[in-house]
Amino acid sequence: MVFNTGAALLDAIVLAVVSKDVEGTYGYKITQEVRQVIELSESTLYPVLRRLQKDECLEVYDMECAGRNRRYYKVTSRGWAQLRLYESEWRRYSDKITGLFEGRVDLSCGMNEGKDSAGREGEGYE
Amino acid sequence: MNRTDFMNQLESLLQSISSTEREEAMQYYNDYFDDAGAENEQEVIEALGNPARVAENIKRDLLGNGENGTWGRRAKASDRALAEYQGENGSWGKGNTVVTSTSRGKAEMPVWLVVLIVILLVCASPALLGIVAGLAGVLIGLIAGWFSMILGVGSAALVLFVMLFVLIVVGCMCIAWDPLVGVALMGGGLICGGLGILFMMLTVAMGSIATPAICKWVAGLFKKKAEKKEK
Repeated sequence: MVFNTGAALLDAIVLAVVSKDVEGTYGYKITQEVRQVIELSESTLYPVLRRLQKDECLEVYDMECAGRNRRYYKVTSRGWAQLRLYESEWRRYSDKITGLFEGRVDLSCGMNEGKDSAGREGEGYE
Repeated sequence: MNRTDFMNQLESLLQSISSTEREEAMQYYNDYFDDAGAENEQEVIEALGNPARVAENIKRDLLGNGENGTWGRRAKASDRALAEYQGENGSWGKGNTVVTSTSRGKAEMPVWLVVLIVILLVCASPALLGIVAGLAGVLIGLIAGWFSMILGVGSAALVLFVMLFVLIVVGCMCIAWDPLVGVALMGGGLICGGLGILFMMLTVAMGSIATPAICKWVAGLFKKKAEKKEK
């Protein structure tokens, strides 16, 4: 893994993975699925889930399964909005970097790079 | 290490966080072990690393949420998401404050707040100076008083030794003409000598033991404040 996965990107990935299951999914499954996409230490996932839950992007519910309660995580409407925001931000961000690597970006134009048509500055990932 | 050991260690490492958070975390990892299945127990333990690492990640995230940096950044992203996509999903029925501050990254104070504070300081300066001068006076007084006490005790010791000397000399002189009085005087002198030694010990204690100890204690307080600020 060459590039560091920052907190926001991690949130985005986890949200995207959980969103694949409309009814929600549980911790162990989420971890396995995320690890199919990126290398992730299993000890980092719980804080992300907890954070998303506190930010009200994920909600939890318990379901009886094989004699024990299993905690499921499900994306909330706020979570969906957040995920769409992350997706569009990622597209812009990765397009810019891809453009730079492929030589499509003209670096000699002043300081107006980075603003989209609406005039907002991108937050980017940290 | 087996699962029980791991979970026990994790629980004790999480004692410093709230019991709700601790229970949530314990529940999560217990479920995790259950879902992985007993046959994968060792794999899970290896993948999680060690309980200390897991606890550290949990604690760091819980503490990080309290600071402005992480929360401010994510709150802005969430609230922008709300503003942009609210039309599609209707309102969430919860009061959301939209952050309008234009500061980036770590929390900076708005300029107007800094100006206000400066103005307040200037207006309050006579009173502030008075208070500061008063406090300085108290401090100087305390220090002066302390050293005066040492001086006083030392002087008492000195006087007592002089008395010892005088009384013994006079006592000797008296022995020639009235032995009892002479002996009494010498006895008195010895008593003074004993008291003198006591006072001398007290002076030494105050001067060379108590004073450095007090200085170290004060320095220690400042160090603790500096450490707290760094954190």
